[in-house]
Amino acid sequence: MRRIEVVSSVLTKNAQAAAETRARLNAAGVTAVNVMSAPGSGKTTLLQQTLQSLPDIPAAVLVGDLQTTRDAERLAATGAPIVQINTGRGCHLTADQVAEGVAQLNLNEIRLLFIENVGNMVCPTGVDLGEHLRVALLSVPEGDDKVAKYPTLFQGADLILLTKVDLLPVLPFETGRVQRDLAQVNTRAPLLFLSTTSGAGMAEWLSWLRQQVRGESCP
Amino acid sequence: MHEVSLAMEVVRQALEAAANAGASRVTAVQVELGVLRGVDPDAMEMAFTAVAAGTAAEGARLDLREIPARALCRQCGTEYAVAIDHYVCPRCQAADPRLLAGNDVVLRSVECEVPEEECR
Repeated sequence: MRRIEVVSSVLTKNAQAAAETRARLNAAGVTAVNVMSAPGSGKTTLLQQTLQSLPDIPAAVLVGDLQTTRDAERLAATGAPIVQINTGRGCHLTADQVAEGVAQLNLNEIRLLFIENVGNMVCPTGVDLGEHLRVALLSVPEGDDKVAKYPTLFQGADLILLTKVDLLPVLPFETGRVQRDLAQVNTRAPLLFLSTTSGAGMAEWLSWLRQQVRGESCP
Repeated sequence: MHEVSLAMEVVRQALEAAANAGASRVTAVQVELGVLRGVDPDAMEMAFTAVAAGTAAEGARLDLREIPARALCRQCGTEYAVAIDHYVCPRCQAADPRLLAGNDVVLRSVECEVPEEECR
């Protein structure tokens, strides 16, 4: 019997594909944002409004779903380049899938790439897609205990959006609980209160995006 | 989570390591599970057994070791232990960790049988 030292990450394949995508994006001056949340938190609606609100920053979206092209159809109405990735039964996007999607885009024509991940608070968290930033959405109807229940999603986020805040008056949601739970897992990411229905927080969201876009001539 | 795809990659890498060493069979693999990955050890055992069947790693023993999570506080530079539900720096109370350990799954080593004639 011989014991052979290997000392190799089992996650290498995805990590390598993600690194290659990140390098391609860097070379083209494109900032990529991985948008994650449970199903129905408002990712697609937010991206629809966002695409229409940043006329000076050309953007594209890769949207991942198990089935249907519905999200891509909704987003395509904005005129931005949209690529739908159907995973079949896959519960999260993979770096290989994103690389294929990126290959269908002309990176020289965009500065911002949104990757709308499969609606899922668990599986996408462990998978590097080659993005620069991660945004996690939590919507008011989901309940104020979800940060504690799904810590990994929120720990890894660069920005956290509490969406559908127009519903706060009619639901027993304590924003203080979200803030307290976030203090245990992530004090770095800003928490923005947002509503695509009322427009609340949209200016702050767009401002954050503008600051993140690479190649902006800022200090 | 995703123990089957992890097991597939473990078996693939183990078989590759064994082949490179001129070995005919894999009899055991040592895998480290970072706690932040949320891999269920029982599911990993079942997946590994299933995936290894029909390969040169069939029947191999799977030795799992849990790797605790450690982080460096980005605010004050303290190195501290973290867990899947707790990332607060004990010195400055920030939850702004750069993860140092416990966030990977590593194939550490492989035990093989080499053909009788070869002694390396």
